[in-house]
Amino acid sequence: MELFALILLPLVFALGVVVLPAAQSRVVALAGMLLTFALTLVIAGRFDTADTATFQFAKSVAWLPQLGLSLSVGIDSISLLLILLTGLLGPICILASWTAITDRIKTFHAWMLVLQAAMLGVFCSRDLILFYICFEFTLVPMFILISLYGSTNRKKASIKFFLYTFTGSVIALAGLVYIASQHAAMPGRSWTFDIAALASTARELPLGTQSWLLLAMMAGFAVKVPLFPVHTWLPLAHTEAPTAGSVVLAGVLLKLGTYAIYRFVLPFVPMAVVEYAPFLAVLCIIGIIYGGLICWVQTDIKKLVAYSSVAHLGFCMLGMFALNHTGIAGSVTYMINHGLSTGALFLLIGMIYERYHTRSMKELGGLGAKMPVWSTFMVFFAMASVGLPGLNGFVSEFMCMMGTFQASSAWGSSNLWGSLTDVRPVGVTHGNLGPWFAIIAGTGVIIAAMYLLYMVGQIVWGKLREPAGHDHNHHHEGDKHAQGGLSTDLNAREIITLAPLAALCFLLGVYPTPMLKIIETPVQQTAALIEREREGLPTRPPKATPEGVVHSNAAGISNNAQEARQ
Amino acid sequence: MTHHLTMLETLTSLAVAAGEGHAGGAGAMREAPQWVLAIALLPFAAFLLNGVCAALKVRNQFPAWLTIGTLATSFGLTLYLFLNYFTGADRAPMHVHGFEWIHFQWGATEAQTFISNFAFYIDGLTCLWILFVTGLATLIALYSSEYMNHDVGLGYCRFFAAFSLFVFSMLVLVMADNLLLMFLGWEGVGLCSYLLIGYFYKKPAAVAAAKKAFIINRIGDLGLLMAIFSAYGIFGTVEYSKIFAMVAANADGAGNLLSVNTWAGIVLPLLLTAGAFGKSAQLFFYVWLPDAMEGPTPVSALIHAATMVTAGVFLIARLYPVYTIDPALTILTLVAWCGAITAFWAATIEMAIFDIKRVMGYSTISQLGFMFAGLGLLSPTGAAFHTFTHAFFKATLFLGVGAVMHGFGGQLDLRRLSGVAWMRGFGLVGIAMLIGSINLSGVPFTAGFFSKDMILAQGFTTPSTMIGGAQIVAWILLITAGMTAYYTFRTFFRVYTGPKEFNPGDDAELLDLGRHPKGTNLEQWHKEHGHGHGHGHGHDHSHDHGHAHDHGAGSVADRRLQTRIDFDPTTEEFDPHPPGWAMKAAILACMLCSILAAGLYFMKTAGPGAEHGGWVGSMIHPSSAHFASPEFGKTATHMGQPHEPAAFFGQDAHKLMYYVSAGVGLIGILIAAFLHGPKGWQGLFIGNRVIAEKSRADGLINLFGPITKVARNKWYVDEIYDAIIVKPLHVLSHIFHLIDQYIVDGIVNLCGAIPRWIGKALRPTQSGEIHGYAIGMAGGVAVLLVLVFVLTS
Amino acid sequence: MNMTTLTTGFVPTLAQAGFPEVMSQVTLGHYLVVAAIMFVLGMIGFLTRRNLIIMFLCTELMFQAAGIALIAFGRYHLDFSGQTFVIFVLTVAAAEAAMALALIVLLYRRKESLNAEEWKDLQG
Repeated sequence: MELFALILLPLVFALGVVVLPAAQSRVVALAGMLLTFALTLVIAGRFDTADTATFQFAKSVAWLPQLGLSLSVGIDSISLLLILLTGLLGPICILASWTAITDRIKTFHAWMLVLQAAMLGVFCSRDLILFYICFEFTLVPMFILISLYGSTNRKKASIKFFLYTFTGSVIALAGLVYIASQHAAMPGRSWTFDIAALASTARELPLGTQSWLLLAMMAGFAVKVPLFPVHTWLPLAHTEAPTAGSVVLAGVLLKLGTYAIYRFVLPFVPMAVVEYAPFLAVLCIIGIIYGGLICWVQTDIKKLVAYSSVAHLGFCMLGMFALNHTGIAGSVTYMINHGLSTGALFLLIGMIYERYHTRSMKELGGLGAKMPVWSTFMVFFAMASVGLPGLNGFVSEFMCMMGTFQASSAWGSSNLWGSLTDVRPVGVTHGNLGPWFAIIAGTGVIIAAMYLLYMVGQIVWGKLREPAGHDHNHHHEGDKHAQGGLSTDLNAREIITLAPLAALCFLLGVYPTPMLKIIETPVQQTAALIEREREGLPTRPPKATPEGVVHSNAAGISNNAQEARQ
Repeated sequence: MTHHLTMLETLTSLAVAAGEGHAGGAGAMREAPQWVLAIALLPFAAFLLNGVCAALKVRNQFPAWLTIGTLATSFGLTLYLFLNYFTGADRAPMHVHGFEWIHFQWGATEAQTFISNFAFYIDGLTCLWILFVTGLATLIALYSSEYMNHDVGLGYCRFFAAFSLFVFSMLVLVMADNLLLMFLGWEGVGLCSYLLIGYFYKKPAAVAAAKKAFIINRIGDLGLLMAIFSAYGIFGTVEYSKIFAMVAANADGAGNLLSVNTWAGIVLPLLLTAGAFGKSAQLFFYVWLPDAMEGPTPVSALIHAATMVTAGVFLIARLYPVYTIDPALTILTLVAWCGAITAFWAATIEMAIFDIKRVMGYSTISQLGFMFAGLGLLSPTGAAFHTFTHAFFKATLFLGVGAVMHGFGGQLDLRRLSGVAWMRGFGLVGIAMLIGSINLSGVPFTAGFFSKDMILAQGFTTPSTMIGGAQIVAWILLITAGMTAYYTFRTFFRVYTGPKEFNPGDDAELLDLGRHPKGTNLEQWHKEHGHGHGHGHGHDHSHDHGHAHDHGAGSVADRRLQTRIDFDPTTEEFDPHPPGWAMKAAILACMLCSILAAGLYFMKTAGPGAEHGGWVGSMIHPSSAHFASPEFGKTATHMGQPHEPAAFFGQDAHKLMYYVSAGVGLIGILIAAFLHGPKGWQGLFIGNRVIAEKSRADGLINLFGPITKVARNKWYVDEIYDAIIVKPLHVLSHIFHLIDQYIVDGIVNLCGAIPRWIGKALRPTQSGEIHGYAIGMAGGVAVLLVLVFVLTS
Repeated sequence: MNMTTLTTGFVPTLAQAGFPEVMSQVTLGHYLVVAAIMFVLGMIGFLTRRNLIIMFLCTELMFQAAGIALIAFGRYHLDFSGQTFVIFVLTVAAAEAAMALALIVLLYRRKESLNAEEWKDLQG
């Protein structure tokens, strides 16, 4: 019941925003978001951490039983983390738009709340159709937010965003419905859209069918992520969207794609994923390097951060397609961490845009002297984004790369490892990626430093540059800005918007273990499931390990150990 | 699968058991008291408090004293730790657990767990490092409290926050008990280096230098990160103690022999070396360090001379056992060669350039080359000793240079300064520079002499069968030692001796300390106008305002132009601004430490190792850095062989080397005196320089012709990098951007355009004429009916 | 007709229930021909006339033609669905007529004409 309440709560407040006068929209929306966030916290508090893989708070209401449709919800720890992230970003988005949105206030806040409900619905649903409805319904509010509140090129951006992601998702839907039809066609089974039931059906399908299904699902979800060749909607949509829209887009909407891949692609078609993992990983790596290098030559700061999402999500998906626990867990934490740090970067850019009405790094620069608080936050979040150890980005980036590095069957048998025996090194899992993938992807870490420091160097350091016509001479500390009454540096509201994100970035970087622990069981199950399928994969040679070798080695160790003691 | 995992588990437990066996036998790991954590955490607290000071807009010297106090406490604790745990015979490593940092289980068994705790592993090597890191950091913080005085306010808080964060990161780097936590410190020092190099962020050169340092470090860091992954793949752990145990047992985590594993023997140490070279500015990576001199001088002294850049030396010393997995010691040979080549290479540049701070920067690269050569030549003790002595004398030199910069408006050109030691208030600086210079040159009985000597002697004694070409490496180092003596005293003779002569530099803020209108008395004028010992009164402000007006991209030239206008020699005068008590105290303490460090060589302490390298030897001997230790490096096949002192021209190399290196050093000094020394006793009676600008060496420049010019331009390495890496990459990025806009997105737009074209083609049918639609409909129905008839009949 | 059989669920055809066979004289074909003639008249009217009201009446004519065909078929198959459906259609048509006439009045007010071609620009 809690989960239904969670989805309905923002909707109720959306209704409230519509009914009440526009002057109260902000407060009502903020209250709605805060209450929703509080509810997510309550749910988190009551979540049984001993049983993280089970879908808790499960509730199923028959909807159209003839068609096997039901409104069924439930969350495991991974959904929980994403719900918390969504809940947190909600009030932050409202606060960030406090002075930026002055026109059609009602529409904005009502749609923000609807968007919140749809996103929460995605993470809660256990029914395929409910999931899909929510997944697609996020497009409508986002379309409206971009097309009404965006900047100059907003029409094109919103239409492209809508059509691109919509086209992809329809193909994904076709694939998923095909699975449901296969399920219904099996003797003794009827129509159902229950995710768990469909997963077991899909896994029984032959590799050829699974490959097609993989293609269909990736068509939908990879666009949302976005993976390399289907990413072009993202920079446009991000650049044109209002600040709150960008934050939600980077923070949560992109995670719908990665979450769907985790929820549907991995458990539904594991055989095909194992088969095509190297190919997908190559796409991720291209995204990392290509996206990163494009960032480096941007002059529009918002576009830079948008492209950085392409590179970052490349890391996230690379970890996912490593198909071992380390990589998948890294990928899941990446979803959260990217949402925090990139969300914050968009907030920061929004604050600058509100003051200067430009995003060009040619016109802006050296704000360190004028806006020390803003600059401090900027450097902090840029560092979180670069993946500095001690901040959150590092933990997930490290795990994604280590998962990739580990995932190599080659280590056990080829000359690469240099081992004389067939014994697999202890820190290595099965897989088709391996060190080279990790090293090439790792250059993305250097590129990330290049473009983020370029950005920081342009906009924070250097001599103060302000757009021509910006009346800077009369701006001393404490002076109020002509438009919106903004202070020169960040005001209390803006600091409150950023502070929770900064605190979380720090906390999750210094003490990520609880988060890693809570996702451990479900991710391990997913990894084990793939491992089982890998064992049964006909195209792979069986991995026999001669017993004799093992024993002689074991003896070798103890001999050495004895020598060491002597 | 289940079977497979069980087998893995068995093997891992065997390897771990081997480790425990070692720990129990050769010296059990001791649990250190919890307060040891405070050594690192105190500077972190200082960082946070400095942040609070910034938020509260503190406009006095409080942040400095806060930092000094905390660092001094940290140093005190370190000293206490050292005196209580590392003086007796038992110097076994200690361990202290903080909290779980990154912890996850990635497989079905307990063994498949990744553990990286915030925990410390402290052995003699660590203890050595934390002693000089905390000690020097305290002194340099004291120095900075005065040096950065012109920036009291927000900048002051920022400086000391980054300073404290740096000390925290450096301590974590050296105290970490596992590779990943070490990486945290490693990247942390990189960040602080970035923040502090770019401290004067209005200066484009500083910003560029900061960025360059961070990015080049990142390239090395990628190697280190890959090394961590490799280590985890091989050993199934990143914790030092377990890795060392497995190396000692010559078995990786899965029970394979380590010494036949190329990945473990070659690739892993190679990746580690890449990381070490990046941070320590060796070989191709050195380009960032000279540029890093854009940072405030105390930062250069602490980070870019004494501590951070030695992290690479520490890394290799810490993981020395891993380097000895390969029986042929391939990577150590590589390290030795690279170190020597870097040492020589940097020395050639130093002899040609005129910027005294950059001379010190290159000299650091060169000396780091010595340390790496020491590591490669199987003398980690020598390397550690040289790091230790170098930390003090190089800090002394940098602080001295800083005092000159501070006093002369940022003047760094050795052709524009002369006889500084004879100027009022600069006597101590002159003495300190002399002490630093004789250490760096290796004048007999100085600390630098003994530590450099250990490396050189080791080079001549290490058999070529172990380290290929060890003797050639040693010869290169010996020649470099002579060059070092020359360039060190070149600076000394030109700047500190001879006729008193100076031109103020172009650093606007430092100029303010000594400028006053013509015909007035500096002190009187400062008293009246409150300049100089800035109380932060509108100083930032006026500066900001000045900059706010020019919108163009600022360059160094712009800035110079501006300050020239600011300082008008026709109406203004400049008096040198001597260092105050804080700077003097720090210089004095550093100087004394660098003198006293020589005594350590002769200090005979209890426990093994003191016969080689005295106190430092006894610290290094029980640590992981000791090469021939029974616990570590056992896998190298030659380890059982007795360590024969090799002959050097028929003599015992260790003894003869004292005389040879002393001679080489003195020759270098004499050449410097002849070419650059002033007339009279200050130039040892062989110099003839009478003005700052010209000396005998100018004739020599013509002799060498283009070589000097090329060397002065740092062999154009920056330009080459720019041409073959940066520019092409930039072009590639632009190409990618175009591809993204016109091809990748173009295809998408094409897909979107196709339906639009079809729609356009069909558009005329939608005339809006209702009868047209009706006819179409009726016709359609008719056609359908006909179709049905045809198909059914 | 036996009520018990109806209520117990067994629904006999009209013939089984004893209704006289009226269709024996006038066959299904007759009805369909009438319906077809009405429909074609309506269609021709719709296609040839420009007056909105006449066009609307023509659509009504087509409606009724379809209705006749439905009833005829319903009777032929001895099934009530046809008649039921026609009643629905009639009801809807009545509502629609009200709407459509109202719209036509509105359109007339705008352009002072009932010519359908005046509204070409609604093509979109």
